[in-house]
Amino acid sequence: MLSIFLLQVSDWAIFFGRFHPVLVHFPIGFLLLAALLVIGKRLGKVSIGDGTISLILLVSAVAATLACGAGYLLSLGGGYDEEILDEHMWQGIGVAAFAWVAWAVKSDFAHKKLPASGFVYLPALGVATILTMVAGHHGGSLTHGEGYLTTYTPEPFRAMAGMEPRREEMTEIKPIANVSEAIVYQDIVQPMLNVHCTSCHNGTKQKGDLRMDSFAHLTKGGEGGPIFVAGKSAESKMLKRCRLPLDDDDHMPPKGKPQLSENQITLLTWWIDQGAPVDKKVAELKADDKIKPALASLSEGENAEQGDGYNATGSPVLSLKVPAPDEKAVAALQSVGLLVNPVAVEQNLLEVSAVNAKDFSDAKVALLTPLAQQIIWLKLGNTQITDATLIKIAKLKNLNKLHLEYTAIGDAGLKNLHDLPYLEYLNLIGTKVTDAGLQSLVGLKTVKNVYVWKSAVTEAGIAQLRQARPDLNVVTGLDEITVAAFLQAGKADSAQLAKEEKK
Amino acid sequence: MSDINNLFKELQHAELQRQTRRHFLKECSFGLGAIGLGSLLGSCGTSSAGTAAPALPDDPMAVRMPQFAPKAKRVIYIHMAGAPSQLELFDYKPELEKYHGKDCPAEFLEGKKFAFIQGVPKMLGPQGKFAQHGQSGAWISDYLPHLQTVADEVTFLKAMHTDQFNHAPAQLLMHTGSPRLGRPSLGAWSVYGLGSENQNLPGFIVLASGGKQPDAGKSVWGSGFLPSVYQGVQCRTGGDPVLYVSDPSGMNRDIRKNTIEAINEINRQTYEEVKDPEILTRISQYEMAFRMQMSVPEVMDVSTEPEYIRDMYGVKPGDGSFAMNCLLARKLVENGVRFVQLFDWGWDTHGTSADGAIEIGLHDKCRESDQAVSALLKDLKMRGLLDETLVVWGGEFGRTPMQENRNGTVLPFMGRDHHLEAFTVWMAGGGVKQGFSMGETDELGYYGVKDKTHVHDLQATILHLMGFNHEEFTYPFQGRNFRLTDVAGKVIKPILA
Repeated sequence: MLSIFLLQVSDWAIFFGRFHPVLVHFPIGFLLLAALLVIGKRLGKVSIGDGTISLILLVSAVAATLACGAGYLLSLGGGYDEEILDEHMWQGIGVAAFAWVAWAVKSDFAHKKLPASGFVYLPALGVATILTMVAGHHGGSLTHGEGYLTTYTPEPFRAMAGMEPRREEMTEIKPIANVSEAIVYQDIVQPMLNVHCTSCHNGTKQKGDLRMDSFAHLTKGGEGGPIFVAGKSAESKMLKRCRLPLDDDDHMPPKGKPQLSENQITLLTWWIDQGAPVDKKVAELKADDKIKPALASLSEGENAEQGDGYNATGSPVLSLKVPAPDEKAVAALQSVGLLVNPVAVEQNLLEVSAVNAKDFSDAKVALLTPLAQQIIWLKLGNTQITDATLIKIAKLKNLNKLHLEYTAIGDAGLKNLHDLPYLEYLNLIGTKVTDAGLQSLVGLKTVKNVYVWKSAVTEAGIAQLRQARPDLNVVTGLDEITVAAFLQAGKADSAQLAKEEKK
Repeated sequence: MSDINNLFKELQHAELQRQTRRHFLKECSFGLGAIGLGSLLGSCGTSSAGTAAPALPDDPMAVRMPQFAPKAKRVIYIHMAGAPSQLELFDYKPELEKYHGKDCPAEFLEGKKFAFIQGVPKMLGPQGKFAQHGQSGAWISDYLPHLQTVADEVTFLKAMHTDQFNHAPAQLLMHTGSPRLGRPSLGAWSVYGLGSENQNLPGFIVLASGGKQPDAGKSVWGSGFLPSVYQGVQCRTGGDPVLYVSDPSGMNRDIRKNTIEAINEINRQTYEEVKDPEILTRISQYEMAFRMQMSVPEVMDVSTEPEYIRDMYGVKPGDGSFAMNCLLARKLVENGVRFVQLFDWGWDTHGTSADGAIEIGLHDKCRESDQAVSALLKDLKMRGLLDETLVVWGGEFGRTPMQENRNGTVLPFMGRDHHLEAFTVWMAGGGVKQGFSMGETDELGYYGVKDKTHVHDLQATILHLMGFNHEEFTYPFQGRNFRLTDVAGKVIKPILA
């Protein structure tokens, strides 16, 4: 009956088992105390009766035995390194056994009956004490993981002990330089698991009998069976648990531990849906639009979490790598009153603005040429430039946003802008550009927004461009007629107000 | 005898004041010893970086780079002070209509604090007539007929929530990230981080309307512990935009210029000696004021605008209205001003008076502002400015689905109390989605139930759009790094374009 009770991992077993860490401290403390007292007595520093030591030994032996029992019950819960557990168990049993022996030979009862008791006493006590320390250390390793005690050994003791310099803990995922060449499992999935999962699911600590530190272990699953079904993310426990509410007891990683980000869950889902291959590269798997931002985020590292979304979904021009701008060229532009600034910290791409230089003219445009690679945002609105400027501007290959509003440019100049592979924004408000000029934009495939208010462009011209390029957003402005229509929207409301007032 | 007691108290007080932290470290030899040991063992490896105040450039308003490429280069923040009712304007609750006039359920009241509601109030159904507008199907009531026409430009955050239910602290929280005084405002952080593009105009301009200043006072556009050069510059919308900026008669511009240069030279010498950044602030403000004498009257002059543009906003020159401020805001961002803050007072509709009644006062405020706000969006868009200009519209909190019953009485008009669990803020332009709505409230509009967003999330998002990671955009003050969102806030990613 008792054995059945013990073998079943019942709540009772675990309940008593968890007293193991409480109970183990009794034999540790008492045995050490006994050893110290014996040494003290031998050296003549302590005067203490044998009866006292005998009592201490009895308590040690009883406590060690109880600790052994509780330890066994605790081990039934599983999740520990078998090898260390086995050693720990025998060491623990050894402690109990030798403690009993030491007590027995010391006690009045046995002392008289056993002839060799005098020779056994000290070795038994010594072995029990040493085993206590060894078993205690192994117990610590089981609970906290191997190397817990010494992980934080500071220099210079570290070098003296011949330990390797401490490695930074895996709390961060390193950005991947070339995502499409990365091996999905090895370079994306496992690093994610290393950061978020393996601290509890590894070689020494196996919560739920699960290891996530290698592909083989991951496929094997845990006590509840496999944790993912290749090709079927919806049926994969691993992902279900990630998606549970944070407060759910089954949520993984547990509440309070660093959580997987949306992108990471998306990547895991994708990997599983693609059949959870171990050796395939990103480029070899099918990537739909949903996964692209998540993949793009990998090149920025986990810390870019807050800052992603730009290079991922924003303009491709921002991921261009260009050399640092020539400082003299920048200074030359600044000297004519232009604002020249990198678009962000540690970026070589430049924004150039003439907001403070209304007198900027064709004569100074050549100053832009040395920075042809770097300038992506260029604001020349309200300046003196003419069509001649656009010939030079057409050479700024990486232009992404171009402001030409309220300048004297016209169709002749605009025709030069046919080869700007990154251009998305073009402001032609208040220019002389006509329908003919507008048509020359048809070939600029990347352009998203063109602004033509107050230019010579007509409704017909806009309609024509919209037909040729339905994806292009041609924005024009209001005039007297459209404003009147807009104001009409409030009329109904005013009429109602008048009615209410009459009432 | 009491005199001697007072003397003792004073002595004690003086003694306590001497007990500074430095004093404590000096006295406490163990503390110092431990710190020394720590650094010997190399465990105290913090570098000096991050603790010393960052060096300010000679020109505190020079353009600086954000942490990553921004989507929004400028912000127009329209704050409807007093808190407009989301239940009349955007958050359509047909279910609330059914409960109109019924007692408020107990679970809405237990353990809750309200500014004025006492006992058991009645529920108040939506007073606006709602319909869906635009291709996005945004719910907008007939209180805002013009906004309906630009619904597809706007992203709504319909499950906003805050921590403060009184105007001043809630406004401070909204604009400075903290309900208490002393923190820099969003606009101040922006110009601190990015500088100002137009060298002749302040980077952060404030325009107020509605007859009163915000309840939280000028701290809502203050610079807090940032150098004061970054505080908002308030301009008047009628008469001289900036008082006393024009030269007195008899003083010509050259004399003024020489005077300012002389003063600045002295200030610069003082700065070399004492290195107080406030002196740099003073220098740059003298210079700015000089340039503003020319630039501000020019940019604030709406008479140069075509008549149909003024009609679109519904303004007459010099009327000092909210609508005028919208037009000015456009002119300012067009000229490269980084952050324009509009405050419009009078949205606090408790139902205690006609002005503060939902069916009268709120409707009037909507009529005053709706056309101008919508015109602003249209105007920015047609000028190609909306692309890089973020427009934010909202109050400091929301309003209750219950009718206010101040002092337990029935009020003469329909009104709603302050509500922190749910309100609506909308954004448009500069990197947010067009025609999008995020967040849902429950059937009665009391709690956010899906995609809730906090004030700090909104702030984190605005900074994100301007190119800053709100967690790393900090300023060291009193021994620690401060940030706008303090220890909270998450970028609202679903609304990013």
